[in-house]
Amino acid sequence: MNAIELNHICKSFGEFAIRDLSLTVPSGTICGLVGENGAGKSTTIRLLMNALRPDGGTARVLGVDVSSPEFRAVKEDVGVVLDEAYYPETLTAVQVGKVMAGTYKRWDQGTYDGYLRRFDLPGKKPFKDFSRGMKMKLSIAVALSHQPKLLILDEATSGLDPIVRDEVLEIFNEFTREEEHSILISSHILSDLEKLCDYIAFLHRGRLLFCDEKDQLLETYGVFAGTAEQLESLREEAILGRESSGYGGVRALVRREEVPAGLELERATVEDIILFMVKGAK
Amino acid sequence: MKALVQKDFYVIWKQMRMFVLVLALLSMVNSAFNTVFLVVWCSMLPYTAMAYDERSHWNQLAAMMPYSKRDIVLSKYVLGWICMAASGVFCLAVQAAAGIVSGSAPSVPTLLASLCLGIITLDITLPAVLRFGVERGRMIFMVVLFGVAISIGILVDMVDELPSLPVPLVVLLPLGAAAGTALSIPLSMKLYKEN
Repeated sequence: MNAIELNHICKSFGEFAIRDLSLTVPSGTICGLVGENGAGKSTTIRLLMNALRPDGGTARVLGVDVSSPEFRAVKEDVGVVLDEAYYPETLTAVQVGKVMAGTYKRWDQGTYDGYLRRFDLPGKKPFKDFSRGMKMKLSIAVALSHQPKLLILDEATSGLDPIVRDEVLEIFNEFTREEEHSILISSHILSDLEKLCDYIAFLHRGRLLFCDEKDQLLETYGVFAGTAEQLESLREEAILGRESSGYGGVRALVRREEVPAGLELERATVEDIILFMVKGAK
Repeated sequence: MKALVQKDFYVIWKQMRMFVLVLALLSMVNSAFNTVFLVVWCSMLPYTAMAYDERSHWNQLAAMMPYSKRDIVLSKYVLGWICMAASGVFCLAVQAAAGIVSGSAPSVPTLLASLCLGIITLDITLPAVLRFGVERGRMIFMVVLFGVAISIGILVDMVDELPSLPVPLVVLLPLGAAAGTALSIPLSMKLYKEN
């Protein structure tokens, strides 16, 4: 079963639009949703959770159409962390726990208390006095404490210091050790996604440019570094994006199978692939 | 829905301390106006909670959780009813206690009429606030509150005091509250969906 299926989703907001978005996240995998600010990542997440109605297309989460009445029950199985933690500012972490205990049928107070301790979050401090990192940690604690099968994380690791970020990524990794657990995570921190994800989906100006297995992406592309003349000798179809590296040199993202076998290429990171593709698209 | 009402209580709890103080002071003066004013004032408390919700964009997060729109809308009515009922009971208790000294008994009919007026006020204003948000909805609320106050003034002038209300009005007010609620909740659901 697929954890997430988006089929030909369209949503227009005037100047900005999500166009013909089709995306599949198989169960038991982690998919990283990448894109510049305003690319449509948060809109996609809202469409997925039926918080926005699409102009066209269908969305299914954990096998259920999100526009059906049954989807409300499916939300019990989905832990969501949005780009901001939108809890009312006067609430404390303890009060959030009590409210969530009445919200989710499978709320596990022991797990929640464990995360509060693990993240060193004060129980009785008002939410408005939390730092951004603390707010995100509280959101993550809530998302993980009602036994979800799917985590949808929108910039969940931004604002966290590197040590906590690493710990949180480890928690997400632990989460997917259960066979049926899946994660869709959007982030600007591409190194995090490279570390964590099985699939990378790249959204650019409302269009999905690709959604591929990370390992396959890294095998498919390489970074050429050399002179402009050497680059010009390659086939045009092989080059996806280029940049000047100074002193007359150039760097370019190329398809490995389109370049001569002997040509030495650097290993491309997810960040290289995304940045070159954006430049290429421009 | 219980969780949403609980959340709203946590949100307005700090406001309540000041509220209870004003409530106690005003309740000591046993007058129809004070009783009506306090109960109708308490019908505003859901808007305080909603203002906090708007400021924190809580609705965006709530849309990700297994709440139905019915839960979200009804929770605001329930919060208003609980606040009004609690203020009514509190008002009655303070007036009864003050009556031991002054010798005047609290007026239950006035309190019941106040509760009906508070419910009607909530019925009229809540759909608008759910549709337009607290800021713009507050204007509508003020107009309604002003209208209710003027009506009460005219009413009190006509019948001297609320305990001696003509029978039809005593029947009309609860009927108006029930009918208003029956119309207001579906309207709120529709307006909230369109929001």
